[in-house]
Amino acid sequence: MSATSPTEPGARLKLVSGLLVGLYALITLLPLLWIIATGFKSSADAIAYPPKLVFEPTLEGYVNLFTTQTRQTPEMLAADPPTTWYERIVSEKGMVIAGPSRFGERFLNSIIIGFGSTFLSVFLGTLAAYAFSRYRVPLKDDLLFFILSTRMMPPIAVAIPIFLMFRTIGLSDTHAGMILLYTAVNLSLAVWLLKGFIDEIPREYEEAALIDGYSRFHAFVKVVLPQAATGIASTAIFCLIFAWNEYAFAVLLTSGTAQTAPPFIPTIIGVGGRDWPAVAAGATLFLLPVMVFTILLRKHLLRGITFGAVRK
Amino acid sequence: MRAFLTGLLRLRRGPWEMVASVLIGLGVFMLMQPFALVAFSYSFIVMLAGTVMFIIVSHFPE
Amino acid sequence: MPETVIERAAAATPAQIARPLRSLSDRALAWIFIAPTIFLLLAVNIFPLIWTIRLSFTNFRANRPNAEVQFVGLENYRRILTDPDVWATMQVTAHFLIATLVLQVVIGFALAWLINQKFRGNDLWTTIIVLPMMLSPAVVGNFWTFLYQPQIGLFNAAVSFFTGGDPAGFSMIGEVALAPWAIVIVDTWMWTPFVMLICLAGLRSIPQSIYEAAECDRASKWRQFVTITLPMVLPFLMLAVLFRGIENFKMFDLVVQLTGGGPGSTTELTSITLKREAFEKWRTGYASAYAIILFVAVFGISSIYVKALNKVKAR
Repeated sequence: MSATSPTEPGARLKLVSGLLVGLYALITLLPLLWIIATGFKSSADAIAYPPKLVFEPTLEGYVNLFTTQTRQTPEMLAADPPTTWYERIVSEKGMVIAGPSRFGERFLNSIIIGFGSTFLSVFLGTLAAYAFSRYRVPLKDDLLFFILSTRMMPPIAVAIPIFLMFRTIGLSDTHAGMILLYTAVNLSLAVWLLKGFIDEIPREYEEAALIDGYSRFHAFVKVVLPQAATGIASTAIFCLIFAWNEYAFAVLLTSGTAQTAPPFIPTIIGVGGRDWPAVAAGATLFLLPVMVFTILLRKHLLRGITFGAVRK
Repeated sequence: MRAFLTGLLRLRRGPWEMVASVLIGLGVFMLMQPFALVAFSYSFIVMLAGTVMFIIVSHFPE
Repeated sequence: MPETVIERAAAATPAQIARPLRSLSDRALAWIFIAPTIFLLLAVNIFPLIWTIRLSFTNFRANRPNAEVQFVGLENYRRILTDPDVWATMQVTAHFLIATLVLQVVIGFALAWLINQKFRGNDLWTTIIVLPMMLSPAVVGNFWTFLYQPQIGLFNAAVSFFTGGDPAGFSMIGEVALAPWAIVIVDTWMWTPFVMLICLAGLRSIPQSIYEAAECDRASKWRQFVTITLPMVLPFLMLAVLFRGIENFKMFDLVVQLTGGGPGSTTELTSITLKREAFEKWRTGYASAYAIILFVAVFGISSIYVKALNKVKAR
């Protein structure tokens, strides 16, 4: 479109729009920047009044996040001087490291359950989406609506019987149980999104392959899958982000071995009041991967969050 | 309006879905309104009726 | 000869497995592809749902699995639907819904309209605005309690900077009058971008030629906005409102971490009540009936949502 078009917004309107949107973006960003900044503050700086914008960065929060500590007398500290940088940070407060904290385990649980359920739901979802896209399936609309409606259910309402079911068959607080549950929840999203992506691949490609003597299954593997690769990848990231962020099921159905990070991070407590730098450090490590993925995904965002209803 | 009524009589999907949607909306409003406890008590029946009706009429021909 | 991972996987499939797969009929293949999905959803969603319906007619308590379970008919439903306290939590939910939807639609639409003016760098700002939406509500909600701290919190400091008030003089999550707004603010911060993105898609779907034609007819900018922009975006806006409505009706993680329903029960949304009945008071039968009521409400609105969705898709 040329710059002289009557519908092109004027330069002043553009400038004002840019300023307003930029201002809103900064306000949006502020809490997130505050989380990251608090992670690098000392405990005193974190609760200073007025809130400190300029501070001396320290890794104290991260050390507190990954370790459990006990108080030690000055004599004992002098007798056994710290050897590493993290021991030095801890000993300045008159403490020694007693051992690793639970955070590492919980983070690992998030990774295992996130990737496990993502792999399963994308695998099953691709198969189902292909069938829904290419074959005449009886009651297709009803099945698709059924699949979507399972996603709409309130998690707490579903959690009551799932809690009883898992207790009966011994799946409560296990990785397998959580992977299965998240797979079921993500499957609806995966089927709807992938169906949209596969619908967009022209049928002629497969038909050409069929004429060349490929079987249906072979054509699916060799022609459709490579064509849908981008769609499959973005679907996978959406599933991963959902499983990564999920809280309601995790807090109700896990307590120890399979607990993920979202229910764990709010329970981080320091010595004497909440250790906000440690909480912020945990939150930063937990949120940063999603922020990176969001930036990578920005072209597919709308499609993912509306079940493929809105394309752009 | 005329088309709507003939659609209802001929069991067409569009107008019947509209009726079911209105019923569901009414039920949800009754569930959350601050005016009368009686309306709250009957909200569930209305929502259930609307939802069941929606499932049935979505199989009517266009 | 293109060598992709998938091709190699296909080539490596043993002949014993590959041959029967190759000779399958289309119909059989379709069912083999769909069956695992349907089976899993039946096992993890529908079977539990039926179980919930059954439990909702009993006085079962999950913390006493050996106690005798009695069939109580519709008693649970009668108690919930005549309880003024449950009614009150529904109204708390309604206030939350109305406030968040109005704010998010107004701000979201305004932002989308501004971004659609195509100024330089709009992609960058859009990406930044979208960030909160993708983050874990529980973790973010938990951190917002720190921003809301009297005196030391960033939010209180910002408010006192602009109004000149005392930053220690109010507590967003501790005061009965402010707590409902505390959850509305965080929810709006998080989910306005969702409405914004959908509105933006709506705005971008309007062909430029319509505006050009209106310009030739010398229609004023305001008239163009009312007669072209608004009606064309409305189906998209409808979709956004329904979707956010469903999500906020079952809102749990964010608010649990922010206020936990308090102070008193001023922010006790209906999902939080349900969680207390089911997993703190362990009145499983009663909670199941409650869950069914919420489920029917959500399912009903979802049906309308899917209808709206198909309409937008068909455009």
